[in-house]
Amino acid sequence: MAAPTANASMNPTTYSPGEQMLLTVNYGDPDHQRLTVTVTVADAQGNRSAPVSVTAVIDPLTVTVADDSGRTWSRVSDNGAVAVFRAVA
Amino acid sequence: MPRVTVTVRDSASRTASASVAYTVLPPVLGGYYLSGGADPTADMAGGNFRSLTQYRSFADGYTFPGYQRPWLITLGRAGVQLNMVLELKHYGAPDTGPQTFTVDGVRYTVPAPAMTIQQRPGAVWPKAYGYGQVLAGQCDGLFARALSQYLTMGFGVNIQLASELDTDHEFGTTEAGKAYTWAESDARAVQAVTYIVNWFRAKGLPQGSTFSVGVGGFNRDCFRRTHPEALMTRLDYLQWNVYATSPSHTALERFRRTKDWAVADLGPVALSRPVLIAEWGVRVIEFPDQAAWIATVPPAIARLNAERGPLIARTNYFNSGWGTLSPKATGLAALRAAYARPPYG
Repeated sequence: MAAPTANASMNPTTYSPGEQMLLTVNYGDPDHQRLTVTVTVADAQGNRSAPVSVTAVIDPLTVTVADDSGRTWSRVSDNGAVAVFRAVA
Repeated sequence: MPRVTVTVRDSASRTASASVAYTVLPPVLGGYYLSGGADPTADMAGGNFRSLTQYRSFADGYTFPGYQRPWLITLGRAGVQLNMVLELKHYGAPDTGPQTFTVDGVRYTVPAPAMTIQQRPGAVWPKAYGYGQVLAGQCDGLFARALSQYLTMGFGVNIQLASELDTDHEFGTTEAGKAYTWAESDARAVQAVTYIVNWFRAKGLPQGSTFSVGVGGFNRDCFRRTHPEALMTRLDYLQWNVYATSPSHTALERFRRTKDWAVADLGPVALSRPVLIAEWGVRVIEFPDQAAWIATVPPAIARLNAERGPLIARTNYFNSGWGTLSPKATGLAALRAAYARPPYG
C-alpha cells in the first residue's frame, strides 16, 4: 500500500487578532479510490431488476488538524482532495 | 509563531503531515487625546483605550506629569501607554525670557528661546528653543528638569520630540537673526533631536522608555529628510498624524499616505520600527457622521498591517481641533465600538 500525501497552505500568513484565518489542505493517496458498484439481478427468462448502486471507498483517508497555539480549526469544506479549515486569529 | 499541522491518515495508519507557521500580530492600541490636555479619564472609562498622547513644552516648569495632572500617573500605572510630546516650542506664557532653576541640587540658567517656527505669513510666529541652542548645550537644564520629573513617575513612556516638524518648518525658521529654509531647518532639527535623544539615553531611564520624532507626515520630502537611518537607530517608533478634512478622504487612504512614503523612501532600520499615530481625527464639517468614518478605521488599519512595511501599533484619536467629536457622546461611542473590534481586539 502506498502512503498518503498532504500539503497545507495559508494565504496570508499574518493576521490581526480576531481575524478569520483559512487553511487549505490538498491531500490524496494513490490507493485511495471511490468506487461505485452497480448490481442488477437477472433471472433465466432475462427479466432484469432495476440497478442498485452502492459506493465503496478503498483505503479511506482521515484529515486531522492540530495547532500548537491551541486554536480550534473547524472544517468548512472537504471534497476528498481539498479540505478548507477555518480558525480565528 | 504558532504552527498548524495537518495529518492525513489512511486505513493502514500510514500518515503524511504538513505544517504552516503563521503570525498573529499584537493588538493595535486604541488611544485618545482630550482637548487642552484635560483629564480624559471619564471619556476613556469603559472603553478599550490603552494609549494616550500628551503635549508639554520643555519651557514649562512642570513637564511630568504636568501641572495639576496627577491623573496621568494614575492612567500610566493602570497600563495606559503614554506618548509624551515634548516640544522645544515655547507655549508663550507667562513669559519667554531666560530661566534660572535648580534640579536635584544643580543650578541651571537657560537663555531665552532664540528661534521662531511656524512662520506662516500673517500669523504670530511662535518662539522655540533653537536647534543651535540645543547643540550648544544651552538647553541641558530643560532636559535635566524634565528627566528629574520623569523619574518620579515610576513607569516608562514614549518621548516624542516635537509635535510636527513639518508644521514647524513649512515656512522656514529663524534662529538668532539667521533664516533657514524648510530643508535646512529639517537638517538642523535632526541634529538637535539626535543630541536630545543621546542626552536622555546616556541617563538611567525607566524600563520601557522609548523615543520618536514628531511629524504631521503631510510632506514626503520632509518626512524623508527627518528620518535618516543614523537617527532611526536611536528611535523606537515611526510617527505621523492622520486627518480626514475633505469629503473624499477615506480612512485607508489617509492612514496609508505617509506609510507608502516611508516604505518607498526610508531605510531598513526605519522600516523595522512600529508606527505610533499620535493624532488621528475626522473633521465634522466634511463628515457630519463622524461615527461612520470612525467605523472604517479598524479594517483600514488591519489591511495596512497585513501589507508590507512598518506595523501601525497605536492610534490616538485627537478629540480637539480638526478631530473634535461633535456631538461628543456619539463620537465617543463610535471610538469605543472601533477599539472593541480587530485589530484593536
